[in-house]
Amino acid sequence: MNQNLSGEHRKNWDVLSIFQYLYQQQSISMLFILIIMWVILSLLSPYFFTVNNLFEITLQSAVIALIAAGESFVIFSGGIDLSVGSVFAFSAIVGGLALQFSGSVIVSLMASIGAGLFAGFCNGLAIIKLKIPPFVATLGMMGIARGLALILCNGVPIYGLPREYLWIGQGRVAGIVPVPTIIVIILFTVMYFVLRNTRFGRFTYSIGSNPEATRLSGIKVSSVTLGIFMICGMFAAIAAIIESARLGTMQPASGNGYELLAIGSVFIGGASIYGGEGNIFASLIGALLVTTIRNGLNILGVSAFYQYVVNGLIIIFAVAADQIRRKH
Amino acid sequence: MPDLLVMEGINKAFFGVKVLKDVQFRLHEGEVHVILGENGAGKSTLIKILSGAYTLDSGKVFLEGKEVDMTSYNPEIASRLGIATIYQNFHLVPHLNIAENISLSNFPMKKGRIDWKSVQKRARDVLENIHFSIDPNTLVKKLSVSQQQMLEIAIALSKNAKIIIMDEPTAAISKKEVETLFQIIADIKKKKVGIIYISHKLEEIKVIGDSITILRDGRNVGTMGAKEAELNEIVSLMIGKEMKTLEKKHQYISSEVMIEFKSLRRKGFFEDISIQIGKGEIVGLTGLIGAGKTELARAIFGVDRLDAGQCFYHKREINIKNPKEAVQHGIGYLPEDRDVSGLCLNMPVKDNMTLVYLAKLKERIFSIPAEKALSQKYINQLKIKTTGVYQQVKYLSGGNKQKVIFAKWLAAHCQFLVLDEPTIGIDVGAREEIYNLIFDFVRSGERAVLFLSSDISEILSVSDRILVMFHGRLIAELDPNITTKQEIMARCLNLT
Repeated sequence: MNQNLSGEHRKNWDVLSIFQYLYQQQSISMLFILIIMWVILSLLSPYFFTVNNLFEITLQSAVIALIAAGESFVIFSGGIDLSVGSVFAFSAIVGGLALQFSGSVIVSLMASIGAGLFAGFCNGLAIIKLKIPPFVATLGMMGIARGLALILCNGVPIYGLPREYLWIGQGRVAGIVPVPTIIVIILFTVMYFVLRNTRFGRFTYSIGSNPEATRLSGIKVSSVTLGIFMICGMFAAIAAIIESARLGTMQPASGNGYELLAIGSVFIGGASIYGGEGNIFASLIGALLVTTIRNGLNILGVSAFYQYVVNGLIIIFAVAADQIRRKH
Repeated sequence: MPDLLVMEGINKAFFGVKVLKDVQFRLHEGEVHVILGENGAGKSTLIKILSGAYTLDSGKVFLEGKEVDMTSYNPEIASRLGIATIYQNFHLVPHLNIAENISLSNFPMKKGRIDWKSVQKRARDVLENIHFSIDPNTLVKKLSVSQQQMLEIAIALSKNAKIIIMDEPTAAISKKEVETLFQIIADIKKKKVGIIYISHKLEEIKVIGDSITILRDGRNVGTMGAKEAELNEIVSLMIGKEMKTLEKKHQYISSEVMIEFKSLRRKGFFEDISIQIGKGEIVGLTGLIGAGKTELARAIFGVDRLDAGQCFYHKREINIKNPKEAVQHGIGYLPEDRDVSGLCLNMPVKDNMTLVYLAKLKERIFSIPAEKALSQKYINQLKIKTTGVYQQVKYLSGGNKQKVIFAKWLAAHCQFLVLDEPTIGIDVGAREEIYNLIFDFVRSGERAVLFLSSDISEILSVSDRILVMFHGRLIAELDPNITTKQEIMARCLNLT
C-alpha cells in the first residue's frame, strides 16, 4: 500500500515536470505565433493562404533554415558563427568554378560542400589552437571568405547552370513538393537524431553547458568543437547550393546578412545564449517565422527597408523572452 | 588602551545553519588582534560582517563607543567609518598607475578637469606615509603581490582607516617581503590603528600579534594575549577536546598496491610527492588551504601538467597527459567546485550521469531508453532526490548534486576516484550519505579512493591512512587508529 502511494506520487511529479518542460520550450509558443501570423496574413491578403504561397514560404525558408541548422550546433555548444553568410558565397563560387572546369554537377556539389567544410575547419582551428573566441574568429572568416569569393570569380557572377543542377532548387517531387523542402525535412530529421542520439550531439550540448565539466569528464572538447564548426560550414554550403540552383546563378555577393537571419532563427527557436540547450526543429520554426514575416511584409507591400528593422527587433524580442523565461 | 571596536552577541546563519553563535570580539587602538580557527570556524564570516559584505542576524557593533546601525550597514558605510579590508589586489585597477589608483575614488578637480599635479602630490604623500619608496607612475600590474598589498594598506590609511582587516596577508609573499610587511604593521600600530589579522601561520602570530581570539564552530572559545599563549593550548582550543559524533569506520589494510605515484612535482605548487594506494583503501590527504592538495589532485587527473614524476597503475607505468586519458584508465575526479567544473547545470540529471559513460563508449550512437534506465538505476541506488531523469541538475541540493557526480563515475565503471573536498557546502545529514557512498565504493576491495579534505574530523573518520601536506610537500603519514585531531592539526600547521 505504502509503496503504491509513493509510486502514485512519482507519477504526479512526472506530469508536473512535463508541464514544466512544455513551459520551458519556447518553440511551442513560437509555433503558436507562427500559426496566428499565418491566420492574420491570410485574412489580410487573399494571396497568402494559397498552396503555392505556402510552398513558396517553405522554399524561401529552406536556405535560411539550413544555415540555421548548422548555426544551431554552434549556438548549442555556446559559440557563435558570424561567417556563415560569407562562407555561403565562398562555397557557391567554388562550386561554380568546379562546374565550369569539370562540367560535372557531382564534382561541383562536392567542391561546394568541401569549401564549406574547409571554412568551418579553419574557424574551428582558430578557436581551439589560437584560442580566439568564436565571435572574433568567425568575424575574421566573414571577411576572408567574402574576399575569397570575390577574388576567385573576379567579382563576376557565374551563370549557365545545367538542368540537373537547377532541379535541386527548382524541381518538384510529384509535381507539388519543392525539392529544397524535401532536403530540409531529411537533413533536419538526421540532425535531430545526431543531436539526440549520438555522443557527438550530446557533447555539443555539454560543451555549451559547461566546457570545463565536459573536459573533466574525459571528453576531448577541442575535437568536438572542430566538428561543430565544420558542420556549420557544411550547412552554409548546402544552403548555397540550393539558392544557386533556385536562382540559376552563383553570386559572390550572395548570402549577405544571412548570418543575422540564421542566428535570429536559432534564438527565436528558444536556444539559450549561454548554450547547452535548444532543439533543432525549434530553429526550423524560427526560420519559418523569419521567412513568414518577410513574405507577409512583401505581400502587404511593405518596403524591404523596413524588413531589416523587423528582423532586428525579432532577434531582440526572442532573446528577451528567453531571459524573462529564465528568471521564473 | 581604549576599545576601538566592540562586537557583541553576533549571530549569523546561512540557510538555517548557524555559522556564528554569540560571538564577542574586542579590538583596541594600536593592537594587532589575530583571529584563529579551523577552516569553516567562522573567521571569514565574522570579517565579512564587519566589512559589510554580509548582514548579521543579531548582535551589536560599537565603533569608538558609538553603536553602529547594522540594519543598513554595507561596504560603503564600512569604508566611510574607517574599516578597510586588504584583499590581494582586489580594489586595484591593474592598467592604471599607482597615483591614479590612489586617487581613484575622488580625483582632485580643478575647473572641471582632473588636477594631475595634485594627484601626483597626493600619491607621494600617501606612499611617504608608510615609507614606501616607489615611482607613483608605475603601473599597478607591474607590482609584485607584496607591493600591491603595501599600496592597498597605503590607500586604506589615506582614507583615514581606523581598522584594517588583513586576511592571510603573508600567504603569497616571500620571507623578505613578510619582514617589510611586519615593519609596516608596526608603524601603523603607532598611528593608533587597530589591525585584525587572519593567518594560519602560528609562528608569525607570536611575532606580530598582540592578542589572539580563537573561533571554533562559530563560537569564540578564547581570547588571550599573544605573548603568553602556548602553541599547544592554541591548537587544542582550535579543534576542541570533544570528538565529533562521526562514527569511525573499520580500518582496511590493503595487501596489493593499486596505484603508486613517485616523486610528483609541479613547480611552484608541490614537489617530491610519493603516494602508494592499495586496492580497497581510502587514503585521506589533508592540509591547510594553500598546501597544494587541489593542485596535486588536478595534476594526477591530467588537468594540469606535471613537471616530474611517475605513476604506476596496476604495476604498469602510465603517463596521463589529459583528463581523457585518465578516464580511459578508469580514474575519476570529483572537483572541489562542483557547480563550476563538475556539472552541466542546465542539463538533465541523466545527461550529467552518463557523460563519462558516453565518453568511454565505443559506439557513436546510443539508445535513450537504455540511458534513462541507467540513470534511473543510480537515482534509486544512491537515493537521489529528484523529480526524474529529465530534471535539470541546477534544481538539486548540494548533496544530491554531489551524488549525481558520483553516479557519473560509477556508471563509467571507474576504479580509482580522487575526491576533492566532497562534502564542502553539504549539510551534516547528507554528509553521512556521501561517506557511505565512499565506503560502498571501496567495499569490494577492488577499487580505491584518494580523499582530500581540510575537515580534520572527517579525515580522521573516513580514511584508512592519513597523509598531511604542508607547503606542497608531504610531511607526515598518520594512522587514524592512533592519531588524534590535535596531532593532525599540529601537523597541518607544521608544528613538531
